Amino acid sequence: MAVFLQSLLSGVLIGGVYALIGIGLTLIFGVMRVINFAQGELVMIGMYCTFFLFKLAGIDPFLSVVLTMPALFVVGAVLQRSLINRVLDALPQNQILLTIGLGLVLSNTAMLVFTSDYRILSTTYSSSSVGLGSIRLSTPLLYSFLITGAITAALYWFLARTDTGHAIRATAQDRDAAQLMGVNVRHMGVLAFGLGSALAGAAGALIAPIYYIYPQVGGAFTLKAFVVVVLGGMGSIVGATLGGVLIGMIESLSALYIASGMKELCVYVIFLLVLLLKPSGLLGKSRT
Amino acid sequence: MRALLLWVIPALALALVPLWIQSPYALHIFILLFIAVALGESWNVIGGFAGQYSVGHAAWYGLGAYGAFILLLRKGIPPWFGVWAAVALAVIIALAVGWITFRLRGPYFVLASIAVAEIIRLAALNWKIVTNGAEGILGSDLPPLQIGGTVITDWNSKIPYYYLGLLMAVFCVAVNFVVKRSKLGYYLQAIREDQDAAHSLGIPLTFYKNTALGISAACTALTGSFAAFYVGFIEPQGVFGIDVSIQMVLTCIIGGIGTVTGPLLGAVVLVLLSEWLRASLAQAHLLVYGVLVIAVILLMPDGFVGFIAHRLRKKAAGR
Repeated sequence: MAVFLQSLLSGVLIGGVYALIGIGLTLIFGVMRVINFAQGELVMIGMYCTFFLFKLAGIDPFLSVVLTMPALFVVGAVLQRSLINRVLDALPQNQILLTIGLGLVLSNTAMLVFTSDYRILSTTYSSSSVGLGSIRLSTPLLYSFLITGAITAALYWFLARTDTGHAIRATAQDRDAAQLMGVNVRHMGVLAFGLGSALAGAAGALIAPIYYIYPQVGGAFTLKAFVVVVLGGMGSIVGATLGGVLIGMIESLSALYIASGMKELCVYVIFLLVLLLKPSGLLGKSRT
Repeated sequence: MRALLLWVIPALALALVPLWIQSPYALHIFILLFIAVALGESWNVIGGFAGQYSVGHAAWYGLGAYGAFILLLRKGIPPWFGVWAAVALAVIIALAVGWITFRLRGPYFVLASIAVAEIIRLAALNWKIVTNGAEGILGSDLPPLQIGGTVITDWNSKIPYYYLGLLMAVFCVAVNFVVKRSKLGYYLQAIREDQDAAHSLGIPLTFYKNTALGISAACTALTGSFAAFYVGFIEPQGVFGIDVSIQMVLTCIIGGIGTVTGPLLGAVVLVLLSEWLRASLAQAHLLVYGVLVIAVILLMPDGFVGFIAHRLRKKAAGR
């Protein structure tokens, strides 16, 4: 029982980070109907930022969230203004291909600049753990989950309580109607892509102490973010939060009960099942 | 007839190339080119004509590669039989997958195709008894091939690969030609332009999409097993990885999707560019693909072929 609880809780903790990446993806999709295949690469940039902030300036990876988030917001806003904005009315396939191309450019540029070496960010508390009754949780995972929770709460507040948040949600609900009501939808697109990137950057900072850091790391996160978002329902932020935690739990439990090499396979099989049986996801509205 | 000649003459000219170019490096580039052309044309059948953007074709490429390698390694079945068995395996699995995933549309289909390829990659990675797992299979571990007591395998000579590769590329181009001009081709283009309209005209969508996928997967698997024997090494990430799928798609997009010449042109541009930049980019050679696809989508959405055709038409109109 303790083993089960232990692995369930670790799953929830890592799921928080998946949720963060997924929320970014779903926010971008909601506002612009663009599926960002470069989301994982933005996480990768966040990881490298954190790594170098730690190596060169000695800034703790969990504190560096404060710096990586604005940095990635700017990166995202620039990408949106220069590239994504120009294909908003193009075929969905072309939008997907553009972001795939963007992902290739980002990961291969990272390879040129940082080489393909695997880097490890080890802090003093990297391998320490916190006891909770009979189970022990890794300290960096616990920290990252708490920060994830805080960021998600702040985002919820922003979207639910501020005027700009309302405008973003209105654009996601009905672009034309929002425009008629005087919402600057182009502006909201830039904001949404910036926010989505900032969330990816935060996720990158939070997992930098746990994962290997290398240029190709993004691909796995992009795929995982899709699974999270489809599971929760495309465009639904609550759905993505739930989906992230669920995927974390599924991964962790299947690693325990089936085999550690099979955890991703289980995730993809469940992904296919959701796509086929309930493509609108757990909380999504049915597609039109 | 004239169109046919335009294709036959360059093919014949290419068949004569090894007579005066013996440099292994030059032949190597030609073989890479044949592989890229065959892959681009294979994907074009499902992505270009039927408009189903599969980003999981690495699955069929890898099944072709692994199927032929494993049959030779474990059962001693020579490639000229084994390759067809591998192609059949890929087609059967592709049809089963298509039957399930073709009910999905747009981005959902793209995501499902990626998931399928990832599932097969992870299966190959974990089924170590058969596939050797992440270590992969080395060509030098394969048993030598004999016909009537004489060993005929010389994995190092490039001339046989050159002709086999040329044959394969010509075959894939011919398949595109036949499909495009056949009733099947018109059905596929109708499905690409408007699925619902095609359906209401009585075209069974899943059946024709699956036919296209079967043809596409067969050509892809054939190319995959050829490439595996040529490179002499396979491992799950290298043949089932998403990079393989993306390269296939981008070859078509950059050249011009849904045309027979497009993938050909795309392959020439991409192979030459990445070979030229290999020294300075090393492992990051996919940068070329990324930059080109962004440029093509923003500046010439119909690919090089569409761009050139548009220019020619403009020039003709201006006169």
